[in-house]
Amino acid sequence: MQTKTALETKNLQVLYGEKHVAHDINLKFPQNQITALIGASGSGKSTVLRSLNRMNDDFATVKGEINFHGVNINQPKVNVYRVRQQIGMVFQQPTPFPMSIYENVIYGLRLTGEKDRRVLDQRVEESLRQAALWDEVRDQLKASALALSGGQQQRLCIARTLAVRPEIILMDEPTSALDPVSTSQIEDTLVQLKKHLTIIMVTHNMQQASRSADWTAFMHQGHLIEFDKTDTIFMNPHEQKTADYLSGKFG
Amino acid sequence: MRPERVDRLATVIVLSLAGIVGMVVFSLLIYILAMGIPHINWHFLTAEAESFSAGGGIRDQLFNSLYLVVLTLIVSVPLALCAAIYLSEYAPANRWTQGLRLAIEVLSSLPSVVVGLFGYLVFVLQFGFDFSLLAGALALTILNLPILTRSCEDALRQVPYLQRQAGLGLGMSKWRVTTKIVLPAALPGIITGTILSAGRIFGEAAALIYTAGQSSPAINYADWNPFSPTSFLNPLRPAETLAVHIWKVNSEGLVPDARAVSNGSAAVLIITILLFNLIARYAGHRIKQHLTK
Ligand SMILES: Nc1ncnc2c1ncn2[C@@H]1O[C@H](COP(=O)(O)OP(=O)(O)OP(=O)(O)O)[C@@H](O)[C@H]1O
Ligand SMILES: [Mg+2]
Repeated sequence: MQTKTALETKNLQVLYGEKHVAHDINLKFPQNQITALIGASGSGKSTVLRSLNRMNDDFATVKGEINFHGVNINQPKVNVYRVRQQIGMVFQQPTPFPMSIYENVIYGLRLTGEKDRRVLDQRVEESLRQAALWDEVRDQLKASALALSGGQQQRLCIARTLAVRPEIILMDEPTSALDPVSTSQIEDTLVQLKKHLTIIMVTHNMQQASRSADWTAFMHQGHLIEFDKTDTIFMNPHEQKTADYLSGKFG
Repeated sequence: MRPERVDRLATVIVLSLAGIVGMVVFSLLIYILAMGIPHINWHFLTAEAESFSAGGGIRDQLFNSLYLVVLTLIVSVPLALCAAIYLSEYAPANRWTQGLRLAIEVLSSLPSVVVGLFGYLVFVLQFGFDFSLLAGALALTILNLPILTRSCEDALRQVPYLQRQAGLGLGMSKWRVTTKIVLPAALPGIITGTILSAGRIFGEAAALIYTAGQSSPAINYADWNPFSPTSFLNPLRPAETLAVHIWKVNSEGLVPDARAVSNGSAAVLIITILLFNLIARYAGHRIKQHLTK
């Protein structure tokens, strides 16, 4: 079965100054699927992930192509703000803004100039429902987002990213700061979300990768070692390094 | 020695040193207040100063001090804020930025007499502002800028890096992230820093003697036209401030009650600065509460 590709990198290289931290990364992220990026600490997972929506522009040199809808978005003339609305990002730590839950969710939408109250209200509900947070906060939308628990805050950040209706969401260890209950809530949320969009997620949690990801890419010292269906990677990897990593020989 | 003994000893030393500092500060404060408060009354606060006879007040000096603080803040806050935003959000880590920081550091350790004389030469003589509130406000701005810039920069830096990332990740431009996310979050710190700096410049004398001047011509509090020469709002009139008044009454005062006037003025000065500090804490606290409510 061949799924459509949502995003594709060709010979992606990332350098911090002289330090080469990602070499020749060629990846095709399948549409409406969850792809996990795994690998030891310092292997360059975050670096690659952050390059995908040009969040590394300020500190790193990113070479190669990142193709999105047939356009190489790794070019100076491409509008990065538009790119980041299409390819959203959720971080390791929840990052709610110090304002109400409602305002947090529609923050990105306000940037696009949307003022119609009904559209905003409707989008808040839709995004919070998709992030599986609606039932918990529907009665306190005007309350400060900072009063929510860590897991709720993280789902709020997911809702905030969803509210601009991106096609792809990048997540950098989205549950590593959360307890097991919140983690499994978010994992369930992700599985629901892939109906609407494509998810690319960095994780150190092997169970998480095997539970929720359809595809898994294994990185080692800045190189992409293996990229395949999650089952294949975990059950019978083709590369010895992958097998060694998964069996805990290093990392 | 056993760790507990070392710990106890260190605690005792630290506490007693802190106690000494606290004692010095408190006894000074209490001394000034005790000497001054008996002379403070409604008449003292609302009467004009006398040149030769006893019973003069500090109405104009008090007003001048406050007005000068306002003028200074109007000039220095936007400048300091822009500089702080540049330094914390935009400045690349290179030689030029280092040089800029060094310059700010040096500026902040400039003695205020030097700033006063510089102001006299540049603002009073060169620019032809004469002895005036404007010249005084500009001199105070020089004095205030480095510290205010630093405290604004600190407030901006306190905002977690991830908040900026989150904004950028939503597709906001850097400028937008700065004004819509970083600045509001830093506001409590910026306001506290501004009010504290107001307290600091409120008590400044040396920088003002040759810039805002030492005379207080009759001013009319009913004249709201800032261009009229006798208006209390006119920024081009000379204006003796409270701190300058204390210095002058003590050094060349001809009034028979010079001691009483200077003690009373000193107490008013201290109380006002105390108020600035209390307001700063309260304002910062309230805004923070409001933001996290
Ligand atoms: N801003 C930066 N400047 C310079 N070097 C960096 C920067 N960020 C990361 N690096 C380096 O790039 C390499 C890859 O880092 P990266 O954060 O991508 O790893 P990672 O796989 O996400 O690791 P982890 O699992 O610990 O998050 C590391 O050697 C790191 O030291
Ligand atoms: Mg990482």
